Amino acid sequence: MNNLIISLKNLFHKPLYVFLSIFSLSTSVALLLGIQKFDSSIQNQFENGLGNIEMVVGAKGSPLQLVLSSVLHIDNPTGNIPYTEVQKLSKNPMIKDAVPISYGDNYKGYRIVGSTLGFAKLYEAELLEGKEVNQSLEVILGNDVAKKLGLKLGDTFLSSHGLTENTIEEHDQSFTVVGIYKPTYKVIDRLIITNLASIWDVHHHKEEKEEIHDTHEHEENHEHEHERNTHEIDEREVTSILVSFKSPMGLMTMPRNINAQTNMQAALPKYELERLFQFTGVGVKAISWIAYVILLISCITIFISLYKMVKERAFDLALMRTYGASNFQLFCIVAVEGIIMVLVSLIIGFLFSQIGLYYLISMFKSQFQQDIVLTFSTLQMVQTLGIIIVIAMVSIVLAILPILKMNISKIISDEK
Amino acid sequence: MVQTDQLEFQYKNKEQLFRFPNITLKEQEHLLILGKSGIGKTTLLHLLAGLQKSTAGSINIDEVLINSLSHSQLDKFRGQHIGLVFQKSHAITSLNVYDNLKARLFFSKKAIDEKNIAALLKQLDLIETKKSKVNELSVGQLQRLGIAMAVIHQPKLILADEPTSSLDDENCEIVMNLLQQQAKKHQANLVVITHDARIKSSFKNVMTL
Repeated sequence: MNNLIISLKNLFHKPLYVFLSIFSLSTSVALLLGIQKFDSSIQNQFENGLGNIEMVVGAKGSPLQLVLSSVLHIDNPTGNIPYTEVQKLSKNPMIKDAVPISYGDNYKGYRIVGSTLGFAKLYEAELLEGKEVNQSLEVILGNDVAKKLGLKLGDTFLSSHGLTENTIEEHDQSFTVVGIYKPTYKVIDRLIITNLASIWDVHHHKEEKEEIHDTHEHEENHEHEHERNTHEIDEREVTSILVSFKSPMGLMTMPRNINAQTNMQAALPKYELERLFQFTGVGVKAISWIAYVILLISCITIFISLYKMVKERAFDLALMRTYGASNFQLFCIVAVEGIIMVLVSLIIGFLFSQIGLYYLISMFKSQFQQDIVLTFSTLQMVQTLGIIIVIAMVSIVLAILPILKMNISKIISDEK
Repeated sequence: MVQTDQLEFQYKNKEQLFRFPNITLKEQEHLLILGKSGIGKTTLLHLLAGLQKSTAGSINIDEVLINSLSHSQLDKFRGQHIGLVFQKSHAITSLNVYDNLKARLFFSKKAIDEKNIAALLKQLDLIETKKSKVNELSVGQLQRLGIAMAVIHQPKLILADEPTSSLDDENCEIVMNLLQQQAKKHQANLVVITHDARIKSSFKNVMTL
């Protein structure tokens, strides 16, 4: 027999109170830890996904859409821009790299992005196996894509038109896997990389097929292709250009110039993401506030349950005093009951938050093909747990303070 | 040995001053204190148990002046040397009969002797109920448990406050016999306060307040 056993037996004696207190406190712990961890992981994932991209240039439209589509690959592009603009921009002395990307097809939901060798450098991606793309219709797989689709070097596949998985609009030219990148934990992990020529070839071939089908002019096929090739240099388009600068000066002047003087728009990924986080942050803050309100309610529940326990068991506590228990011992017995409730709530809350995050991330993954690496600042977690523990402890102490003022003689006389 | 001298007590914010006659009990002596309601019987018992501190006078139990002890010393002394029996018997509701006796020894800081507990439960005809919760016991079983709780730690002084008031004649006799047997077994002084005249014949020493 010891204080802990007595505390545990007391807890099991009032299971409903204990269940309600633990349920409400663990819910608030799960919400607080879960939402903070999810928010921090998403922010970290997005910021990490930017790689070395400081500016995106694309067709006019929403700058956030341009960043989400061309940098994070979770939205549709705003349109296309002429390839000649890439060549012009590359010559600008303030620009370190201008990497064109072109996309519009997918394979089983994974985007096929046509670009140059510079694209992998933006994400510091290195080959795990295979070689770089040398010819049209060769691809290198991001690490996640290779794992999820189980593709190996030498495998071939047919791409589908559009950015969502479908088998209706399949192209009839097959891509061949020539390389797989090492994991980078950035956007490139879930992309299929090829060269620009592949994208242009697949789409020209499709347009060509459509024209053939429409006009039934099979015999003119060769002539038609020849005509197209002669105009190709001027007509080629890309979706956007990913830019990194030699110095911050470029970042300060170029976006304004592009937006004012061209038919294109320049967007700054970091700025746009901050704006996005401000919007999503409102939701996160609201959920956090709700969690804090639940925390407060659950601490009040613990307070009421302990206070009620102290009041209802006043005679039991007074009896213990007549048996020789000191005030401090009674204080410890009831405090341990509260501490057990808080500890169990913290453990259950933490487990709930992990289960919740698992489902949230699975949902995120299936909707956006986005793998989230869970990150959480230890300081933030310590702060959150600290707040929970302090509020809970204050409730416990307030609830059991009456023990110190207990008049055993009166309680025993009254009970007669 | 129990000895009180010029014992007085006054409740806070109340005018009534209780003055109690001196008590002198040699080893193993028993005393019955009779008195009307409101005369201060329970107050005297609480003073003897150290649950209240007297405003004047002294209480000497086995050469220890209990009114000079600090709160923590008093808790310890009460736990180890005094056993209390109440009119309406109580025990810790969250514990079963057996665990209540173990808790009693734990709070008294005395070694838990399972054989001794079992023997006492057998003696008091409670062995069948040792795993029962307190609220599952009958009034008679509860009263016997109250006696067990008062003697399990082998006290020097057993104090009983109206232990038979709510009992019929048969149970009144059983409880009184048990109390006296246990006091004799543990070589303890027994002080019973009551207004129940039925038990007067069980005592040689009777004091009326």
